[in-house]
Amino acid sequence: MDKPVTGTKKVFMTGNETVAWAALAAGADIMFGYPITPQNEIMHYWTRLGTKYGRDFLQTEDEISAGFTVCGAIIAGKKAFTATAGPGNTLMQEPFSMAEAMRLPTVAIIQQRGGPSSGTVIYSQQEVTLTTYGGNGEGHRIVYSTATHQEIYDYTIKAFNNAWKYRFPTFVLGDGYQAKMREPLEIYDPEARNIEMVIPSPLVGLPGRIGIEREPQHLCNIYSLEDELYEVVLQLQAEYDRMAPELEEYQCRECDDAEILVVSHGVVSRSADDAVRFLRAQGIKAGAFRPITLRPFPGRALREILQTGVKKMLIVESAYGQLARLLQQEIYGENVPVETLLMPGVGIIDADIISKVKSLIH
Amino acid sequence: MRLVRVVLAGEGGQGVQSAAEIMAEAAYEEGKQTIYIPNFGLEQRGGVSIAFLQVGDRRIGAPKFNKADVVAALSQRAMARTRIYSGPDTIFMYDSSFEVTEEDLPTQYNMILDIPAVEKSKELNTRVFNVIIMGAVLELTAMIPVEATRNALEKKLGYKFEKNPELREMNYRAMEVGRALVRNRLKGGEMVCASTT
Repeated sequence: MDKPVTGTKKVFMTGNETVAWAALAAGADIMFGYPITPQNEIMHYWTRLGTKYGRDFLQTEDEISAGFTVCGAIIAGKKAFTATAGPGNTLMQEPFSMAEAMRLPTVAIIQQRGGPSSGTVIYSQQEVTLTTYGGNGEGHRIVYSTATHQEIYDYTIKAFNNAWKYRFPTFVLGDGYQAKMREPLEIYDPEARNIEMVIPSPLVGLPGRIGIEREPQHLCNIYSLEDELYEVVLQLQAEYDRMAPELEEYQCRECDDAEILVVSHGVVSRSADDAVRFLRAQGIKAGAFRPITLRPFPGRALREILQTGVKKMLIVESAYGQLARLLQQEIYGENVPVETLLMPGVGIIDADIISKVKSLIH
Repeated sequence: MRLVRVVLAGEGGQGVQSAAEIMAEAAYEEGKQTIYIPNFGLEQRGGVSIAFLQVGDRRIGAPKFNKADVVAALSQRAMARTRIYSGPDTIFMYDSSFEVTEEDLPTQYNMILDIPAVEKSKELNTRVFNVIIMGAVLELTAMIPVEATRNALEKKLGYKFEKNPELREMNYRAMEVGRALVRNRLKGGEMVCASTT
């Protein structure tokens, strides 16, 4: 069958459409989903595009089921994914927890909407805590927070590859703005760019007689003894810690001699970049740090930057401190005062950040 | 070019989102940086529909903005809903047929401009009302060449034009009408124009 994307092509589309193209290019076999705004069009585009290239789709009865069917398809050796938002993300934490326990490479696209509860269907960054540390586990997940449509494309492909390579549930954390806006990007065939595409394989029903030719395959999410579970979780943590340095990603703008460091993630980092450019033009030594991976958090890199003369840090997010909490636990012990600009559920523009920075230095 | 920010707002079905999408598509084809985002809420129909459009040369930051260069209100309700997007540099445009009260108008503006687009659309075809507005916005902002917008129209509506070539002419004419309405208004000196309050 023809490849869905050959070479490189410039396009102008919504973030949701971008996800569908990226999942196709990444070789996803099947999507399971349940409708919720603002991710609906991922399903719409996937059903329209995927069927042309022999891919499958199943709409389940709810998000719990969508999450578990993704787990099932993965156990059967299929690159499976889902997409959700808000209350749907809440419901999916149970299957995502099972994926953590069984090391299933689930891929989920989260288009954050306002909360708590149904909140708004529009936009927020209020699903950071849920996506990084949701479920009754230790947050053994990979979470990419994208800022542009190009990144939605790049990181959706990367999410499939790293999920299958490292065997941790992997998330692309977008938001309603990114879902619904149109902007230019390049879509491409990842293999033509020498991106190694991980080939999926079944986790059960393996060849060879159990106990004679191979060890039995245990995909376990419950244990009889607390000591057994203890061993398993410590093992998970050790593997997560080992993998973390290979996965941590971040971006810096004018961090080198920054005295005030603006920290934000996702779509808000676009405004932070503009704000820093503006402040620098006025002679204010501002810089911007942006974690791309929220799990594992690039705490080491941030600590290094903080030691280069940063006098104040300003955490900016469309939530009431979810990034701030994530960040502060990572840099515990650093001596830089932390200020915040917290605007839960609403967009943040460069002017908001500029006036906050100015209020801090005067 | 510097960054141009436009808010289009109207009733569902007036073609606000289509007009914004066509302009965004045209800007993209011209090699501009552009972002278009609709406002979207719970209403499937019946609410005021708003489109946020930005066109520039540099990578654009936030998808939404506080103050626009041009606000075009296609319905009376849309005026009250969008006056907050008008700042000291904004051209706030609406239709001459609206019965405007003070609450409908912004407190900050560079120019308040009314054009008889509804009336003109009745002469052409009310379905191209949004294209008249599009022509007016293009005349006010000069952010995209007319030719590029025609191509974008072709891309979006080409399949309809194939069946009925008169539609193509009607759309082209509507765009020209919109441009002329603004040109005449700016020459006419009848418009309400005041310095920033």
